[in-house]
Amino acid sequence: MNNLLTNDIFLIFIHFVITFVFSLGFLMTAATVLVYLERKVQGYAQDRYGPLHYGPGGILQSPFDVIKLLLKEDVKVGKADGIVFRLAPVVFFAPVITAFVVLPFSPYLTAGALGTGIIFYVALSSIDVIGVFMAGWGSNNKYSLIGGLRSAAQMISYELPLVLSLVGVVMVTSLLAPGCIGAHPNLTTCGVGSISFTQIVEAQMQPGAPWFWFVLAQPLGLLVYFICGLAETNRSPFDLPEAESELVAGYLTEYSGLRWAMFFLGEYGNMAIVSAVATALFLGGWSGPGASAVPWEALFGHSAVAIFFSQVIFNIFGAFWFTVKMGVLLGVFLWIRATLPRLRADQLMRFAWLFLIPLTLINILITGFILLLPIGLVAQLAVSAVVNLILMLFMIFGLGRLTGVSSKGKLPKWARDGRTVGSAPVGAVGARRIGAPVAALSAAGANRAAPTPTDNAESDLAETAARK
Amino acid sequence: MATEATLQPGTFVDEAGMRSEEMILNMGPQHPSTHGVLRLVLTLDGETVVNCTPVIGYLHRGMEKIFENRPYMGGIRYIDNADYLSPMLNEIAYAQAIEQLMGIEPPRRAQYIRLIVGELERIASHLVAIGTYGLDLGATTPIVWCFRDREIILDSFESLSGHRFTHNYMRVGGVMQDFPKGWLQNCQEWLDIFEKKSLPDLEGLITGNEIFQARTEGVGYIDPQQAIAYALSGPLIRGSGVPFDVRVTQPYGAFREIAVIPQVRQEGDCFARYRVKMDEMSESVRLIRIALDKLPGGSVCQRTPIALRPQRGETYAAVESARGEEGVYMISDGSEYPYRAKLRGPSFTNLQILPELLRGNKIGDVIAILGSIDIVLGDVDR
Repeated sequence: MNNLLTNDIFLIFIHFVITFVFSLGFLMTAATVLVYLERKVQGYAQDRYGPLHYGPGGILQSPFDVIKLLLKEDVKVGKADGIVFRLAPVVFFAPVITAFVVLPFSPYLTAGALGTGIIFYVALSSIDVIGVFMAGWGSNNKYSLIGGLRSAAQMISYELPLVLSLVGVVMVTSLLAPGCIGAHPNLTTCGVGSISFTQIVEAQMQPGAPWFWFVLAQPLGLLVYFICGLAETNRSPFDLPEAESELVAGYLTEYSGLRWAMFFLGEYGNMAIVSAVATALFLGGWSGPGASAVPWEALFGHSAVAIFFSQVIFNIFGAFWFTVKMGVLLGVFLWIRATLPRLRADQLMRFAWLFLIPLTLINILITGFILLLPIGLVAQLAVSAVVNLILMLFMIFGLGRLTGVSSKGKLPKWARDGRTVGSAPVGAVGARRIGAPVAALSAAGANRAAPTPTDNAESDLAETAARK
Repeated sequence: MATEATLQPGTFVDEAGMRSEEMILNMGPQHPSTHGVLRLVLTLDGETVVNCTPVIGYLHRGMEKIFENRPYMGGIRYIDNADYLSPMLNEIAYAQAIEQLMGIEPPRRAQYIRLIVGELERIASHLVAIGTYGLDLGATTPIVWCFRDREIILDSFESLSGHRFTHNYMRVGGVMQDFPKGWLQNCQEWLDIFEKKSLPDLEGLITGNEIFQARTEGVGYIDPQQAIAYALSGPLIRGSGVPFDVRVTQPYGAFREIAVIPQVRQEGDCFARYRVKMDEMSESVRLIRIALDKLPGGSVCQRTPIALRPQRGETYAAVESARGEEGVYMISDGSEYPYRAKLRGPSFTNLQILPELLRGNKIGDVIAILGSIDIVLGDVDR
C-alpha cells in the first residue's frame, strides 16, 4: 500500500482521473447551470419570473430540457450535405471540451499544465468557426449560409484583437519571472515571459503582494479580451450569426434535438471558457483568502496526513475562488445580453479592424517601451498600469464617438445635404455597384429567366411585375 | 469597367472583373420579425439588398365584404380586427362614418370618453411598436417592459367594455356604457406611474443606447417630399418633418376643444420615427390628463333607432390612428346594410415605400427599417 502511494505512475493516473472527471463534470454543469441562470437573470431584468415549475425555483428546468432534447427525433434536412451536416456539431463541441484541459482551477485540478497554454487555447477557439461554417454550409439553407458566413468573418476578425490583448499580460510576466525579483537578478531566467496558464497565475501571487492581479497592470487587456470573447462566443451584442430577428436562427436553423443541444451547450461552454481564461490571466486565477497551503499547515501541523489535508483544503478553496471570479464574469455576459441591442454586420467588422486591433497594437508598443525603461520593477508596473488605464478610458470615450452617427438632436450631415430616399447610409462602393443592376433589373422586367427553379420566389416576382 | 450592356440581370461585375450572382431570399411569411405574415422577396448581393418585393394578402379576411353583409352596428366588432393593435381607434373611425351619414353628433361626454380611450389605445399601440422594435434590433428587455405597461391598459379596457382586445365599445352616437366605479381614479394613478417611471425607464434603456443609435440614426431616410408623394401618415410622416396629424388638420370629436401638439422630428430616419412615437406617448398622457379634468357630465350615447337606416349618400371619416390616417369610406343605399365600406389602412399605405427604402441597405437594416415603419398585417391585408 505504501509503495502504491509513492508510485509516480499511479499518482499521475489518479491525478488524470480526478481532473478529467472534474473538467468534464464542470463543463456539463456549467453549461446547464448557465442556461438556467441566464433565464433567471433575464427574467429578473425583465420583471418576470423565468423558469418556476420544476424543482424549487425552477432549478430542474435545464436538466429536463436536456433530457427532452436527448429524446427528440434527429431531423435531417432532405437536401442537406449529410456528412458535413452531421459532423458540424462534433467539430464545434470537441474543442470546447478539449480547451478545459489547460484551465487551472487550482494547482492540483489542472488536467494538463501545458507550457503552451495560451497558444493551445487560442488554437482551439479558432477551430470552433469551422464547425459553425460547416453547419451553415451543410444545412442547405440560405439563412444558415448567411449566418455561417457572418460567423466566419466575425470569429476570424475578433481572433486577432483577442490574441493581441493577451500579449500585454505575457509581457508583464516577463518582468515577474522567477529570477527577476530580489537584489541579484538571475539573467538566465529573468526577462523570459510565460504563456503557461499555471505560471501566469503563479506570477500574480508574488510573496509580497498576493493580490497583484494583472487586471491592475492591464485593465485595457481585460476589457478588449472580454469584448472579443463576446464576439467569439456569438453573444449579444455580437450575436449576428444567429440573429433571431434577421436570420431566424442563423446556422442553427435546420438543427434539432441532440445536434442542436451540442451547439447550444458548446456555446455556453465557450462562455465558461472565455470567463475562465480571463480569470486565470487577469483576475489572479485561484488566488484569494484561504487559497494557500501555508495557513492550513500552520493549523493542522506538519505530519504527512496534515499536509495531505491542508493540500486538499487549499485546492478546494482555490477552485472555489476561481469559480467565483468566473461567475462574476459570466454574470456580466448575462447582464449584457439583457441590456444591449445587436450591431450591424459592417459596424461589427469596422469595430474590430479599425478600432480594436490598432488599440491593442498601440498597447503592446507602449508596454514594450515601458518595460525597456531603466526605472525599476515597481515603477515600470505602475507606469504601464497608468498608461493602460488612460488607454482604456480613451477607448470607452472613443466607443461612444465612433459608434454614434451624429450627436443627439442634430440633423445628420447626409440629411442636410438633401439626398434622396434610401441612399443615406450606403457606402460609396455599395452605391456604385447597386446602381447599374437595379436599372438592368427594371429594364428586363418580367422577361427575366428564373435562375433558381427550386425557389418559387422567382415566379412570384415575375407575377408581381406583370401585375404592375 | 463593365458597361451596362454587358451586365446580365442578376449578376454583378466589379472593377477587378469578379462576377458574383445575386441571391433570392424569402423573408417571411414565417419569420420572427416581419411583424406577422408579411413576405419580403429580397434580392441580395452578399448582405446588400438589391431589390425587395413585399408580398401581402396572407391575412386577408374579406373584411370590407363582411361589412356589406352585416347591419351597420355589426361592423363595429369586425373592424376591431383590422388594425388589431389599436381596435378602439378603428371603432371610432367606423362609428364616425355612420354618424356623418346619419347626421347625428354624439354627446359631449361620449366624445371625451372616445378621446380618453383612443389616446390610451395609442399609448398601448406605441408600446408594442417600440417593444418589438427593440426586439428587432436584438434587445430582449424593452418588449417585456412595454407589455407590462400595456397590460394595465388592456385590463382597464376589460373593465370598461368586457373585452381586452376586441372591445366592441363604440356605438353609433356615443359609446356603450359609462366608466365603471373607480376607473377614472385608477387611470389617473396609472398615468402618474407611466409618466414618472415607465417612460424614463424606456428612455434610459433604449434612447441613450449607443448601439441603438448606431443602428437607427441615418438609416431609412425619407425625404419630406417623398413622404408626401407616397401619402404616408402617422409617425412615419411626422418623423420626416411634415406636421401632418388628422387630429390637427381635421379635428374631430373632442379634439375640436382640446388642442393637440403634433410631435414632429426633422431627421427622417428610423431614430426620428422612434422619437416621434416616444414623444407621442407623453403627448397622449397630457391629452388624457386634460380630458379627465374637463370631462363633462351627461349621457354617453344618443338614442338611435334599433335598425339604423342612414339616408342615401356617401362619406369619408378619418381618425389619427396610432399608425396614421385610419379612414372609413362608406356608401349607404338607405337600407340596413352598408352598400360599401372601404377602409383606408395606414399600414398598407405606409408599406408602399418599403422597397424604395430597402435598396442598397444591409440585411440587418431591412429589419430596422421595416420595424420603424411599424405595420400591422391585419391592417395591411384586412
